[in-house]
Amino acid sequence: MTQPTMQTPALGGLPTVSVAGHARSVDRSAEPVFELRKVCHSYGPNRVIFDVDLAVWPGEVVALVGDNGAGKSTLLKIFAGYQPPTSGTLRFGGQDVRFRSPADARALGIEAVYQDLAIIDQLSLWRNFFLGKEQMRSLGPLRVLDKGHMRRECEAALAELGLTRIRSADAPAWALSGGERQSIAITRAMHFGARLLLLDEPTAALSVRETRNVLTSIARARDQGLGALYIDHNMSHVLPVADRIVLLELGRVVRVIDRGEVSVEELQELVARRAQPSIT
Amino acid sequence: MASDASPAGLVTNGSASGGGTPSGTGSWHAGVLARLREFGPAIGLILVLLVFTAIAGQKMWSTQTMSAISTVASTVAIVAVGVTLLMICGEFDLSVGQNFAFTPIVWTTLFVTNGMNEWLALAIALGCAAFVGVVNGWVTTHFRIPSFITTLGMFFVLQGLNNLLISGRQLIAFEEYPSLDLLGAKLPGTPFYLPLIWMFLIATIAWFVLTRTRIGNWTYATGGKVGPAKAMGVPTDRVKRINFIACSFLAGLAGCMQFAYVRGITQGQGDKYELFAITAAVIGGTSLFGGVGTIWGSIIGAFLLATIQIGLVLSGAPGSFYVTFIGLMLVIVVIANVRLARSGGRQA
Repeated sequence: MTQPTMQTPALGGLPTVSVAGHARSVDRSAEPVFELRKVCHSYGPNRVIFDVDLAVWPGEVVALVGDNGAGKSTLLKIFAGYQPPTSGTLRFGGQDVRFRSPADARALGIEAVYQDLAIIDQLSLWRNFFLGKEQMRSLGPLRVLDKGHMRRECEAALAELGLTRIRSADAPAWALSGGERQSIAITRAMHFGARLLLLDEPTAALSVRETRNVLTSIARARDQGLGALYIDHNMSHVLPVADRIVLLELGRVVRVIDRGEVSVEELQELVARRAQPSIT
Repeated sequence: MASDASPAGLVTNGSASGGGTPSGTGSWHAGVLARLREFGPAIGLILVLLVFTAIAGQKMWSTQTMSAISTVASTVAIVAVGVTLLMICGEFDLSVGQNFAFTPIVWTTLFVTNGMNEWLALAIALGCAAFVGVVNGWVTTHFRIPSFITTLGMFFVLQGLNNLLISGRQLIAFEEYPSLDLLGAKLPGTPFYLPLIWMFLIATIAWFVLTRTRIGNWTYATGGKVGPAKAMGVPTDRVKRINFIACSFLAGLAGCMQFAYVRGITQGQGDKYELFAITAAVIGGTSLFGGVGTIWGSIIGAFLLATIQIGLVLSGAPGSFYVTFIGLMLVIVVIANVRLARSGGRQA
């Protein structure tokens, strides 16, 4: 298929990535998985998102790029049901939806990985993994946590990602490195995400090997027909997996770039230059 | 022995990430520390029993002593169970001590003073106790203010109400009532009273809910870090409100048991119980920052407090010395916990 292949790090230490082909195309005549229409958002008196229209189709990876404060994370949190937009419409599979909490979004198969809201230190790995999606079993008239099942499933999922250092799903999360936390959050999203993945800088704390695993996972999810919304500051990570790149600036969509239209350098230049006027 | 968890050759994947723990022995440490949270207080209790046995001799193991320790411990422990649930989900309740008096005052005023049906009166009183929790939880989560402040306010409100209702008098039940027997009668043929049985029952239920059910899992998650819990779809505000209600209800229920056992109440009942309950929980390994704690640890903590209280009396120490002793122990235990936690590479 058209999996991206990666080479080992080049001079700068950043992985260089080459893409095998551009044969894949996204069918945009169908309904998008998720769509924002005329979405605005304010934190108190501060308006941070202005009339954003944004759609993600099945089997498509949409990258959100832009400077810090452009509103990328805010948009992602709106997608995830973490916060409702101040105004505008959310449409899932062609229907208007209102999310009262992330639980509503997760029930539809939308899973998010956040930079800052990934893992709870005090909980064991399997409790983190299944939080909000606990597997239950019957104990007489009661419904209780199916701990054994959750432990086994968590360990299997982590082993698949190649987290060899983790021996037990009972280990508490504080013993993990930043990269391992991120990997677990991503594995969890892959495990439960049936329709749409939301990834906020998933590779920020990762090693080269882990980064490659994550990018491969995103590509695999896309090939299985999932949609993905992906935020990353590293344009050499963005380019090989993104079908469309949406450039945000101060809460507005300023440009939508199709796959193959720009190079890493051009994209970096675009984000940096766009950000310039706001400083002066 | 220590290399059990990390064959050196496999520790590669965290290398590029910056932060995190330096070695692979984290999970080994974690297991030991997790167990220490409960075994530490248990060892403390045994030590205290041994010390007082050495000082007071056989008196320490007499039936009167057993009776005194268990009755003091059981009501404090029931309050501590509620406080522990709440602390695990990241909140405090300073109003439990006043609620411990308020609920039985309402109950007694209704059925002893005004002749209402005792069971109806009990239901109303416990309803009032739970309502205190409803208010605490709603104010804290709706207005996003620290529960320390909310429940401190509630402390004063209830203290005022208690003053108003009892106005310096003592309420005493002279007659026999089945409800008093149910909550506080002596167990025939033993030195123990029913609150001890209720305590074990309540602790078992709380332990089961906390460790085996979804709401229990959500309680730990909410106290651990509220942002990620919310992001994973945990209704964190509702979890907190439920625990506020459970905490207030248990404090009121324990107060009613105290009245049923003593058959009398003054407005001094429950004085400083909010602090004793927090102390029992903290000595039992519950974190002040949420996300960590166990029910049985708090039960052991409550017995530790009661043993020290009775043991000091038996040793001939002045009664007021008790709180001094408790204060010192609290600080020492927290220092020990913080040091242990730091050696394990995390926050207390």
